[in-house]
Amino acid sequence: MKTRIFSVLCENSPGVMMRISRDFTRRQINIDSITVGIEPTGLARIILMFKADDHMAEHLHHVLSRLTQVVDAEVIDPEASIVREVALLRTKRLSDEKMWDVVRRIEKAGGRVLESRGNVLVAELSGVHEDIENVVKALGPDILQETARSGQVYLGRRTAKDR
Amino acid sequence: MVELTGAKALVESLRVEDVKHIFGLPGGAVLPLYDVLYDDPGIKHILVRHEQGAAHAADGYARASGKPGVCLTTSGPGATNLVTGILNAYMDSSPVVAMSGQVPSKLIGADAFQEADMLSVMLPIAKHNFIVRSVAEIPHIVKLAFKIATTGRQGPVHVDLPKDMQADKADVEIPARVEYVKPTVFELDLARVLEAVDLLAKAKRPLMYAGGGAISSSASAELVALAELLGAPVVTSLMGKGAIPEDHPLALGMIGMHGRMVANLAVTDCDVLLGVGVRFDDRATGDVKHFAPKAKIIHIDIDKVEIGKNVRVDVPILSDAKRALAAVLEGLRARAKRGRPSEWLTRIEKLSKELSPRMDYDEVPMKPQRVIKEIMSVLGGDAIVVTEVGQCQMWAAHYYVVKKPRHFISSGGLGTMGFGFPAAMGAKVARPECDVVDIAGDGSFLMNSQELATVVENEINVVVCILNNRFLGMVKQWQDLFYQKRRSAVDLGMVPDFVKLAEAYGAYGDRVTRPGEVAPKLREALRCGKPVVLDIPIDPDEHVLPMVPAGGRLDQMLT
Repeated sequence: MKTRIFSVLCENSPGVMMRISRDFTRRQINIDSITVGIEPTGLARIILMFKADDHMAEHLHHVLSRLTQVVDAEVIDPEASIVREVALLRTKRLSDEKMWDVVRRIEKAGGRVLESRGNVLVAELSGVHEDIENVVKALGPDILQETARSGQVYLGRRTAKDR
Repeated sequence: MVELTGAKALVESLRVEDVKHIFGLPGGAVLPLYDVLYDDPGIKHILVRHEQGAAHAADGYARASGKPGVCLTTSGPGATNLVTGILNAYMDSSPVVAMSGQVPSKLIGADAFQEADMLSVMLPIAKHNFIVRSVAEIPHIVKLAFKIATTGRQGPVHVDLPKDMQADKADVEIPARVEYVKPTVFELDLARVLEAVDLLAKAKRPLMYAGGGAISSSASAELVALAELLGAPVVTSLMGKGAIPEDHPLALGMIGMHGRMVANLAVTDCDVLLGVGVRFDDRATGDVKHFAPKAKIIHIDIDKVEIGKNVRVDVPILSDAKRALAAVLEGLRARAKRGRPSEWLTRIEKLSKELSPRMDYDEVPMKPQRVIKEIMSVLGGDAIVVTEVGQCQMWAAHYYVVKKPRHFISSGGLGTMGFGFPAAMGAKVARPECDVVDIAGDGSFLMNSQELATVVENEINVVVCILNNRFLGMVKQWQDLFYQKRRSAVDLGMVPDFVKLAEAYGAYGDRVTRPGEVAPKLREALRCGKPVVLDIPIDPDEHVLPMVPAGGRLDQMLT
């Protein structure tokens, strides 16, 4: 099943998130990430990432579009947009040798160490979802104590025509 | 701007929406609102005996009249009792505005007495729902609630009213119109319409399939005109019964699990199927892989979610049925004259004659087919037939010839036992000039028979015809057919005596046991000036046949 990204522009009022998420729950689709931000207009933009086949993805798109408080539901094509995620990682207490190994791996992945106290590192990574996922998986639970992830944020790429 | 209490603002707002009737039952959390209704001469409140009855009555009112039905309850149990009725209205796209009281704002979330989190409960089962958070927004919310309920694909809307929001005062303004982000009219995609015209013009075996959307958009005239122009037979869903007069030579009746065999065969054989305001429900299509296997499918629907949801669609047309059909008609008329698909029509006509359902049984206990036949012989085309749910419903749907839209009312999507009687009550309140008859089963009628008190007290003279087999008949039928006749928990025993039950409430009750007696007793019932219960014992072993087993093919019916 393919990974999908929907961007839902909706009213910023209590219960909207529940209306949207229950449409997934009911169809037993797991939401992998969900982010909310307030647009300059005052409307909320909810970005959802999930896995579904083509038929279900199209159905969910129509179902979300139908909700009374949804102004627009857009299917995001990752190819035509800039999609990023930020992750904060905290390691366990590491040996000196292990710690330097982790520092190298974080820097190689384009991240940076924000803090280090008593051989516990806090690092920041940003990039596309899959790259972050790969680093987190490679480090694994033996090294990582805790992670905090932003979920997907995106901006559509401007075409020549828009400029 | 005027200073009003929330309750007064609400009633003023209802008046602007032209609300004439409310079905409801009061309680602690709606006392301020009922206090305002006490003085209001313009809105008649009909006191039901159970809130489920109020929801179904509002639904029946809406279906019979085309205008939104309104119901009102208190908080907590009053509100939760609306649940089945609201979902029923949602599944059948019926415009209902339901309101219930709520505990005062500052107690919400405290598990206060008679508190239920109705915002969450109603959320998945209504088209939309609101909770009032300030008195000033009440007129806006009411306006929006009616707008949402009655536009696009219609459906129920629930408004939760905390008690303090009814009692407090604020400066309010009753708006003349309200901003609503959803489209209520769609731009017709002319390219799609012309594609449909092309397909229909070339079809050798065209078939039209009309559903509830054809009725809610008042598209009957266009539907019949298009059928006649094309020479296309018309089948319907349960919700579409009455979209075309069923005595029209092109009308083949209902399709599906308990549809007419000729209708199911026509679907299987047609080469172009035009779906009009239908959602291709599983009870109608059977196995979708074998549904209309030879046909290109054109689907007109106002709800994009429905297009392509259950069956593959070749030409989607997003529009209300009336407008789209008018455009297709226009497109076809602009074309050169074309011949009628006479070979197809001859075949259908022949099948129709061969498979015409038999109703002339003389046995005692009576066969339900015979009972329906006699009911039909008495009622004119203006009578509204409402059904309960189960075998009685499918016998009515299969055999009863409906002549007008909004004159056959049945719980389709949810299949709610107990719907028929309160819905009949609502229909009679909406259309007092029409005879209203509930074709009932004993099990289903008992689920809301307490509304006998309501119809007697309010002189709502409906007639209930109970096809009484002392069983939960449809469940029994499935057990007989698919569970080796192991009749588990379906025998309802010999109680109650329905004649005495009617009399206990002050209604008129009578029992009809012999063929030939149904018609005269029904005639008498319609004239007696009281609500009536006719107890009609039927053959307890009769099944609803023919039948497509669940997930089976429409062209392979059990007989």
